[in-house]
Amino acid sequence: MNATLRAELVKHRTTRTDLGLFSGMLGLVLLAVLLHGLTLPADELASTPRQLMVFGPGQIIGTLFAALLGAMTITAEYRHGTIRPTLLATPKRAKVVAAKIATSATIGAGFGLAAGAVTAGAATSTLTARGIDIQLDSSDYTQLIIGGGIAAGLWAAIGGGLSAIFRHQVPTLVGLSAWLLFVESLLGDNDTIVEVGRYAPGAAAAALTGQDPDRLLAPTAGLILLIMYATAAALAGTRATAHRDVT
Amino acid sequence: MTSTDPYSHGAGMADATRTEPVIAVSALTKRYGDVVAVDDITFSLRAGTVTGILGPNGAGKTTTLRLLLGLAEPTSGQALVFGQRYAELNQPVRQVGAVLESNDFHPGRTGHNHLRTLALAAKIPESRIDEVLDLVNLDQAANRKVRGYSLGMRQRLGLAGALLGEPQLLILDEPANGLDPAGVHWLRSFLQRYAAEGRTVLVSSHILAEVAQAVDQVVIIDRGHLVTTADVAELTRDGRTLEDAYLELTDGEHS
Repeated sequence: MNATLRAELVKHRTTRTDLGLFSGMLGLVLLAVLLHGLTLPADELASTPRQLMVFGPGQIIGTLFAALLGAMTITAEYRHGTIRPTLLATPKRAKVVAAKIATSATIGAGFGLAAGAVTAGAATSTLTARGIDIQLDSSDYTQLIIGGGIAAGLWAAIGGGLSAIFRHQVPTLVGLSAWLLFVESLLGDNDTIVEVGRYAPGAAAAALTGQDPDRLLAPTAGLILLIMYATAAALAGTRATAHRDVT
Repeated sequence: MTSTDPYSHGAGMADATRTEPVIAVSALTKRYGDVVAVDDITFSLRAGTVTGILGPNGAGKTTTLRLLLGLAEPTSGQALVFGQRYAELNQPVRQVGAVLESNDFHPGRTGHNHLRTLALAAKIPESRIDEVLDLVNLDQAANRKVRGYSLGMRQRLGLAGALLGEPQLLILDEPANGLDPAGVHWLRSFLQRYAAEGRTVLVSSHILAEVAQAVDQVVIIDRGHLVTTADVAELTRDGRTLEDAYLELTDGEHS
C-alpha cells in the first residue's frame, strides 16, 4: 500500500476522533429514527415513500457525520499544526490531500453503511411495534443501506475537499452541518426552488438511497451527480492546497 | 584544492557535499501584500557547521526557514537544500530534518504514534522510532498522549521527528524556547555532537545566550534584510561578545 495512504490510515486509528464521531452518529441516528417512527401518525405511514420518511433522517445523519469526518482529517491538521510535519514528510501536497480524501471516503462509507443498518433496524422495529405493516421490500433496504454507504463515502470526499479550501475547523464543520440539516431542507420544502433543490448534493445523496422518488432524482442520476460534486470538491481542495503558504 | 573551494573550510566536512553548499539561498524575497518579510537575502552554508540565524522578533527568520522547507513559496529568488527545492527532494525526511513549531502534535495521539505516522509517510522502518525516542530521552513517555507532555518534552518529540531519517541537515526554529537551563544545555551539546559527525545544523533564535556557545557562524537578519554572515570567531575577535557585535550590527541598521 502507498506510504502516504498508510500514514493517513494510522492517523485515523491513533486518535479518538473517528470513534467519537461514530458514537455520536449512532446516537443521533437512533434518536432521529425513534422520534419520527414514534410520533408520525400511523395513517400517514401506510405507503413506501411515507415509511421511507422515517428512514430518511438516519441516512442524512450518516452522510453528515461522514462529511464531518472527511473535513476533520484536514482541519485538525491545521488546527493542531501537524500539517507542518505532514508536509515536511510528504512535500507533494496533492498526494497528501488525495490520501486524506481516499481514506476518509472509505471510512465515511463505513459510517454510511452502519447508519443505514442501524436506521433500518430501528425504524423497522419501531413501526412493527406500532402494528404498522412494513411496505419496504428487500431492494428498498439494500438501496437504503448500500446507497447510504456510497452517499456517505462521497460526502466524506466533499467534506475533505471543502475543508482543504477553508482549513478552519469550526466554520467548516458548522457550514457542512448547516447545509445538510438546514439549507437543503429549506430547498426541499420550497416549491418554487424545488426544481433547483433536487440537484443539490444533499438531495443527490437522498436520491441515491431511494428517498422521495416523486421529488428527487432517480438513484442513478443522484449517484452520477454526487460523484461529480465529490470530484469537483476534491480537485478544488487539491488545487487550493497546492501552492498556498502554510504558516 | 581546499583553498579554492569556498565551502571546504568547515571542520568535519562530508566529502559528498564538498562541491555544493548544503543550503543555498539567493536573492530570496517574500512579500505579504505590502510587507516585505524577507528582502533579497543571499547566503549559503557548508557542511559540518552549526549556524545560528539570528535577529529580533519579526526579522524574517521563520519566513526564511519556511521558504527553505517549501511550506511557503518565494516571491522571487531561490532557497535550495542540497541543490534542490525541498519539494523536489527524493527522500526529504532522509535528507533534511526540521522543526518549525514546538507544538505540532495532535494532543490525543501518543508520542510514539505521532512518530509512527511520520515514519510511515517517509518509508522509514518503525524500529527507528524507538531509537529516536531514546536519543531525546522520551522512551518512558512514548506511550502517553502528547496532551500530558511538558513544553520541554514537546520540543524533544519534535526533534525526535526531525531525526527519524538520520538527515544530513537539521533546521530548527527557536528550539530552545521554553526549555529550562538543563534542557538548553542538553540541546547545545546535542547539536554540537551532531555537527561533529559532519552534518549541518541551522538553528534560529532571538535569544543570543541560547546559541552563542553552540554555533560556529551566524546569519544575522533584521527587518527582512541580511545584516551579515560571519564566523562567530571573526565577530568576537577583538574581545567583543557576540551580543555586543549583534547589537552593534542590528542597531546600525536602525539609526
